[in-house]
Amino acid sequence: MKILPLSLKNLARKPGRTAALVLLTAFLALAVFGGSVVILSLRTGLQSLEARLGADIILVPSEAQSKVSFQNMFLQGTTGAFYMDAAVADKALEVPGVEKAAPQTFLASLKADCCSIKIQVIGIDPAKDFTVQPWIARSLTGDMGDMDVVVGCKVEAGIGEIIRIYEQRCKVVAQLEPTGTGLDTAVYCNMHTMDTLLAAAEAKGVSHKIASGDDSVISAVYIKVKDGYDIDTVNTALTGKLRKVTAVRTRSMITGVSDSLAGVSRTVSAMTVVIWILAFIILLLAYTLVVRERTREFAVLRLIGASRGMLGRMALLESALCGLGGGIAGTGLAAIGVFSFSALIESSLGLPYLFPGIGTILLLAAGTVLLSIAVSALASAFAARRLSRVQPGTALREGN
Amino acid sequence: MKKQIIPGYAVFVLALAISVGSVSFLGPCVHEDGTVGACHWASRALLGLGMLLSVLAMLAVLLRGARLGLYLAMCLSSILGILTPGTLISLCKMSSMHCRAVMQPAMTILFAAAGLAALCGAVICFREKKERA
Repeated sequence: MKILPLSLKNLARKPGRTAALVLLTAFLALAVFGGSVVILSLRTGLQSLEARLGADIILVPSEAQSKVSFQNMFLQGTTGAFYMDAAVADKALEVPGVEKAAPQTFLASLKADCCSIKIQVIGIDPAKDFTVQPWIARSLTGDMGDMDVVVGCKVEAGIGEIIRIYEQRCKVVAQLEPTGTGLDTAVYCNMHTMDTLLAAAEAKGVSHKIASGDDSVISAVYIKVKDGYDIDTVNTALTGKLRKVTAVRTRSMITGVSDSLAGVSRTVSAMTVVIWILAFIILLLAYTLVVRERTREFAVLRLIGASRGMLGRMALLESALCGLGGGIAGTGLAAIGVFSFSALIESSLGLPYLFPGIGTILLLAAGTVLLSIAVSALASAFAARRLSRVQPGTALREGN
Repeated sequence: MKKQIIPGYAVFVLALAISVGSVSFLGPCVHEDGTVGACHWASRALLGLGMLLSVLAMLAVLLRGARLGLYLAMCLSSILGILTPGTLISLCKMSSMHCRAVMQPAMTILFAAAGLAALCGAVICFREKKERA
């Protein structure tokens, strides 16, 4: 007597019972796979943010010192524009301990013709930049010419396409790899292009003039501190030397994000554990009820020569098959939900969100299916033991 | 015979969700200035396809003789529905926008489910027809 065909027939003979057990296991797999992918994506997003920021300190005008809104620009891609004298970058280099100072200029576009919403335009100086340039170099082999732009991965503009910003035609020359941060929705250009765009914005009534009336403006300076210097000391020196400028330590920004991430991770993990415990208890109860229902069936099998071990194995195999079906179904459903609605999840969480590599995801999926099989088999172990010890005579006499 | 009409009811429910969703919570981006983008027209096309699917599904429940053909028509309509947002009618160019983050994936899933249900219906009809023959 072969166990596998018999187990499959048993499962097919009771479609309602099988469906209920598969559904329960699918629920387990869905919670584990979905929760794990979200947590891993948040962690990958945080690592990406750390790598992407690259700088130790960011100088912004005091008026923009609302660090929260500055943080939102990175995390959620909200637009913002604030300006200070372009000389700040050179002055910062005079502070002991400052190795590099890369200026950036921000401009929030009007409703761009591509998107119906504002997009953040960031002007960089390719010669001085050390934060965005390495990322651009991965996608763009040549130089970024005047009126050329590099778009974040979430701006759906193909290479060679023309996008209009303040009625200026800008050519897309490259698209950046995903970072999971708000920078994915930004558009990058060089400082000459930015000057043209600022002038065009001025003509449209969007002023970027600072109190001194100077036209040469920047929005932020990214500072790299020399090795051996204490970042906090340099931070204090910068704040002391530069007037109307606030120095923000990137570490404090990342720590804030990291704390939020830890909170979300804890909540998701706790929910997953609770779902697992509840589902395991329900599975245990379901298999206990199955024992009562199938006592006569197993008694007959014993009478026609099936050994105890064989009956135990058969019961375990049936539950493992339910676990396999449920694991695959639950993982598949979770994958559809998590991957299809990734943009929605990202915007709801408001945290850097970047999927881990395909290898990690496949491993996670395989692990979830194996875990579903194991839990299903474990929940049925007691039932399998009871069923394998059925006394045929007694069971059939009692009519159970 | 009962087996043949269950997929019809399933497609009908999904088609209703598509029709209602495409103009409400699963709909296009809402612009503050009242203008409409390409995604607005994509949602109108989805509404039409949803209504077409619901009529086909009802006909499949009511008309015994034409079920196989109706189910096949529903499969093709579902493929059209999957292709409509993003491929046949463009959407906004920022993937974080509502039409790309919600409308497109939700409609793809709903149309795929409707297409699968219709395919099941077609297979059931084909098998029963073959058995009768």
